[in-house]
Amino acid sequence: MKSAEVRLENISKQYHRLTAVDNVSLKIEPGSMIALLGPSGCGKTTCLRMIAGLIRPTSGGIFVNNADITHVPVHRRNIGMLFQNYALFPHLTVEENIAFGLEMRGIKKAAAKARVAEALTLVQLSSFGGRYPAQLSGGQQQRVALGRALVIEPAMLLLDEPLGALDKGLRESMQVELRALQQRLGLTTIMVTHDQDEALTMADKIVVMRAGNLEQVGSATEIYQRPVSKFVASFIGVSNMFEGAVERREGAGGLVAAKSGIRLQVDSMPSMASSDVTVSIRPEAITVEKANGLEVADRPNVVAARVEQVIYRGFISHYYLRTQGGQQLIAFEQNQLHTTGLRHTVGDEVVARWDASSNHVIPNP
Amino acid sequence: MDERFSGPGAWILYAITIAMMIFILSPLLLVMAVSVSDSYFVTFPPEGFTLKWYAKVLQDRDFIDAMQLSILLALGATIGSLLLGVPAAFALVRGDFFGAAAITGFLLSPLIFPALVTGLALLQVLSRLGSEDARLNLLIGHIVVTAPYVIRTVLSSLLLVDENLEDAARTLGASRMRTFWRVTLPQIASGVAAGGLFAFMVSFDNYPISMWLANSEYSPVPLVLMRQLVNVFDPSVPAMSTIIILFAMAGVLVLERLVGLRRALTV
Ligand SMILES: Nc1ncnc2c1ncn2[C@@H]1O[C@H](COP(=O)(O)OP(=O)(O)O)[C@@H](O)[C@H]1O
Ligand SMILES: [Mg+2]
Repeated sequence: MKSAEVRLENISKQYHRLTAVDNVSLKIEPGSMIALLGPSGCGKTTCLRMIAGLIRPTSGGIFVNNADITHVPVHRRNIGMLFQNYALFPHLTVEENIAFGLEMRGIKKAAAKARVAEALTLVQLSSFGGRYPAQLSGGQQQRVALGRALVIEPAMLLLDEPLGALDKGLRESMQVELRALQQRLGLTTIMVTHDQDEALTMADKIVVMRAGNLEQVGSATEIYQRPVSKFVASFIGVSNMFEGAVERREGAGGLVAAKSGIRLQVDSMPSMASSDVTVSIRPEAITVEKANGLEVADRPNVVAARVEQVIYRGFISHYYLRTQGGQQLIAFEQNQLHTTGLRHTVGDEVVARWDASSNHVIPNP
Repeated sequence: MDERFSGPGAWILYAITIAMMIFILSPLLLVMAVSVSDSYFVTFPPEGFTLKWYAKVLQDRDFIDAMQLSILLALGATIGSLLLGVPAAFALVRGDFFGAAAITGFLLSPLIFPALVTGLALLQVLSRLGSEDARLNLLIGHIVVTAPYVIRTVLSSLLLVDENLEDAARTLGASRMRTFWRVTLPQIASGVAAGGLFAFMVSFDNYPISMWLANSEYSPVPLVLMRQLVNVFDPSVPAMSTIIILFAMAGVLVLERLVGLRRALTV
């Protein structure tokens, strides 16, 4: 299957006064999988449907392998699309559902039959061809939908929260399976999700959207480790955030004085106009130790706190701490299999510390 | 037996159901009973038993002609209202134009058409237009009153169709037209059938519109029946009525067999 490069150039979609998608430009490498990630209503589905041709952009262009498809009707775009509710034709059998796209392309019955069988094998439903969608489980239905989308050898695959209706265990195994299949076929894929784990698991590149705009585009590690905004830092994973001001610069890094009283040593400080910054620290970067009269005083990246809540989650525990300055801190610590009990309990006086390299500076707008 | 229909409450339910059935069906049964009465006037209880009134009715040229006209008219009205009503319902549900919601709401509310006034208005419009053909006028008039029934049933079944099915079909290479035939229509088939049946029955049974638009040459069954009733009220009138009742029931049964009308009517 030849994979397509997809490019969006300044596309916008306006609904009366509401701008659902605002001047978005994006390039999707051939054979890669990207995830549009963001809260509900941020314009992900609208974006995807514009690429599919189901929604006409108010302005801007869509290009596939540099060919302008902005005005090509849906049914000539050669697209495989999966919907959250599967959208299988209830009056057709599994085989007939899969054959639908081939039939629309005028492919002869005999040739279509072989390809349908192939697709059924691909999605591991060979013995289900004669059933009706209502006779299948949710996971099986989505496999049929996948087979139906892939059998036409689409130029790209579009997924709109395709696993959202499945329960957690099945969803996770389908994520891995879908990703493996996508990589094996080398199929350019665009997925929409509001589930960060799904995006992290499946995508080469994550596009974080907010209110119709692209907030950040990058690999999973870039997005997680170097969020460009407070929004991204809090939307992907959990972050501790300190509002503060740059106190001084030293080489690439410097010192930030947080409003809650503590001081933060940072390794790298972006160049920026204002000195107002937010420093974000991931919970797993924080080490929690017994206070034992440990001197905290003026040292950076160290803070005295009291344990307010402990949540045991199997291999990790979440510690909710309150600093003396009144700020809440969340720390994740891996549990040791052989020690019994938790390292800290509610009410303990502790010291939280972390490396300068864990401090990520976000300039305030 | 289904457990919903057991217990003390069930008897009350049965009693009410039976009472309702008697209330609805007794006039029809009464008509059927007097149609076999061996007397020259309509009497109840019927005297003796005879089928001679049926023999008389089935040889009555006026009645046969009227039946033919009514059946053709009802078929024409059904086809016409389907051709107009299905696309109209589709436009109302899927289209995004000003007033669509208001029109939909109006059509889904209980249908009230002052047919007598509609008929008179139609007569004026059609004669103004110089339309002299009574059959054509009847057809137009009947479509005007039957199309809303089709729009209504199709509309309500269309509202239940998942729009994603149509989107999926289109991404798979189906044009809008093919999507409609291959995906949408099978989903709304029962609604279309129910609408068609309503249209047929409403047309077949219509008096107030036909009254204005018919002439002496072309009179549908209800008009002939009424005329007969006014002239000689002998048991041939109930015999005609019985034929019409049986005809209507047969239609319903056939449709029930074909598309599962019960499902269609509950949309
Ligand atoms: N047909 C429509 N008419 C008006 N507003 C719409 C329409 N479709 C979507 N919107 C609005 O556009 C915004 C983006 O919607 P959508 O793309 O579905 O978001 P997401 O998929 O990220 O949840 C939302 O505020 C939504 O209410
Ligand atoms: Mg969405």
